[in-house]
Amino acid sequence: MSRVLQVRGLRKHFGEHEVIKGVDLDVEAGEVVVIIGPSGSGKSTFIRCLNSLEAPSAGDVQVHGGSAAHAGDRKALAKLREEVGMVFQDYTLFPHMSVLANIMLAPVKLGRMNKAQARDTALALLERVGLRHKAEGYPAQLSGGQQQRVAIVRALAMKPKLLLFDEPTSALDPETVNEVLNVMKALASEGMTMVVVTHEMGFARDVADRVVFFDGGRIVETGPPAQIFSQPAEARTRQFLASVL
Amino acid sequence: MDFDVNYLLAQWPALFAGLLMTLRVSLLAIGFSLLIGVLGGGVRALRVPLLGPAVALYVEVIRNTPILVQLFFIFYGLPAIGLELSLFWSGVLCLSLWAGAYQVENVRGGLATVEWGMHEAAFALSLRPWHYFCLIALPIAFRTSLPAMLNTAISLLKNSSYLQAIGLAELTFVAVDRIATDFRALEMFSAICVLYLALVALLALAAGRLAAHLQRPFRP
Repeated sequence: MSRVLQVRGLRKHFGEHEVIKGVDLDVEAGEVVVIIGPSGSGKSTFIRCLNSLEAPSAGDVQVHGGSAAHAGDRKALAKLREEVGMVFQDYTLFPHMSVLANIMLAPVKLGRMNKAQARDTALALLERVGLRHKAEGYPAQLSGGQQQRVAIVRALAMKPKLLLFDEPTSALDPETVNEVLNVMKALASEGMTMVVVTHEMGFARDVADRVVFFDGGRIVETGPPAQIFSQPAEARTRQFLASVL
Repeated sequence: MDFDVNYLLAQWPALFAGLLMTLRVSLLAIGFSLLIGVLGGGVRALRVPLLGPAVALYVEVIRNTPILVQLFFIFYGLPAIGLELSLFWSGVLCLSLWAGAYQVENVRGGLATVEWGMHEAAFALSLRPWHYFCLIALPIAFRTSLPAMLNTAISLLKNSSYLQAIGLAELTFVAVDRIATDFRALEMFSAICVLYLALVALLALAAGRLAAHLQRPFRP
């Protein structure tokens, strides 16, 4: 197995307030790592540091076979970002562009593909998430679940080595949560390397190869879902799981 | 009441020439003012060092001095420093600079409504800052700003009548010129009021169509 992501000594502070207090994490190719933890534990900030949406204050992030970036090295962080896709809580589709235009924009503008290739890629990916018939539609004409599936496709069109999800189902109606989770499950089974921040404990249990429990800006405990959910070693983990399950 | 329609019909060629001049000068200035608005609004929204404050100063100077003074400054003042422009281009410059200041604020306001999430999404896709500005922020802002931009464009069109003060043969100049010889003030001013109203209506119609077009993606 080759390593896709290697994080060492990652720290992030906003002014005096330290949010991430030194985190190490390795993610192997094809692995699905699910990060759980209470609100304010720093898990969102952590995942945002992985593609330098937040510039880390210290430590380094390395995408294997790609770039290594130390905190403060802006150029390297930007390079790193090209290899990492991200799906946000609130979809963030560009509202004035059709579904197809949303997906084709980055690959075409960054010279990864010509228009015809990008279009074929986009349509094939839309087909896989069951939204090919919406290709010409606009985001406002789609349900939240459909928008989030398009957002996943938009990230995939850049052929990322690693896909990050920051609470991808938190803004969705309960009945559309599953259509998004099913797409994520399918991606996982196809071998996509993923880091997912979520409150969906069912997803963590069924899909994760490894669960990371985050609290107070640190990784408290990490292990396979069976272990974390049935025999957590740390009292803080037990306490958290008791409150959400 | 003495309202001579036949007189107006006889003056139509002169009025039409004035109308065309008003249209030419206004449309050019609307174009340039939008260009100023986009560049200046972008510079302000992105807080570009030095340029940002310079644009802010320009906006304040234009908005807080009379347009007639600005016009005289350009037409009578600039030649003293070797910048001599024709009547026509003095008019275009004056109206462009005047409306440009308001368009800067319109564009800036529109850009301020674009959600931060759009920026993050573009950033996460590795799109470059200029991709974000030109392809995402500006089009989204444009839809929000369009009504304010239209208002500014309409004001520009109406303010083109100030250009009669430097002798540019636009609509108001033609009317005033004819009244000086024929004393038909009621007819002439009625006629040009109707013509200005028609021009504004056309502008509003065009902007309305554009707004409907821009609105299409946002309809469920």
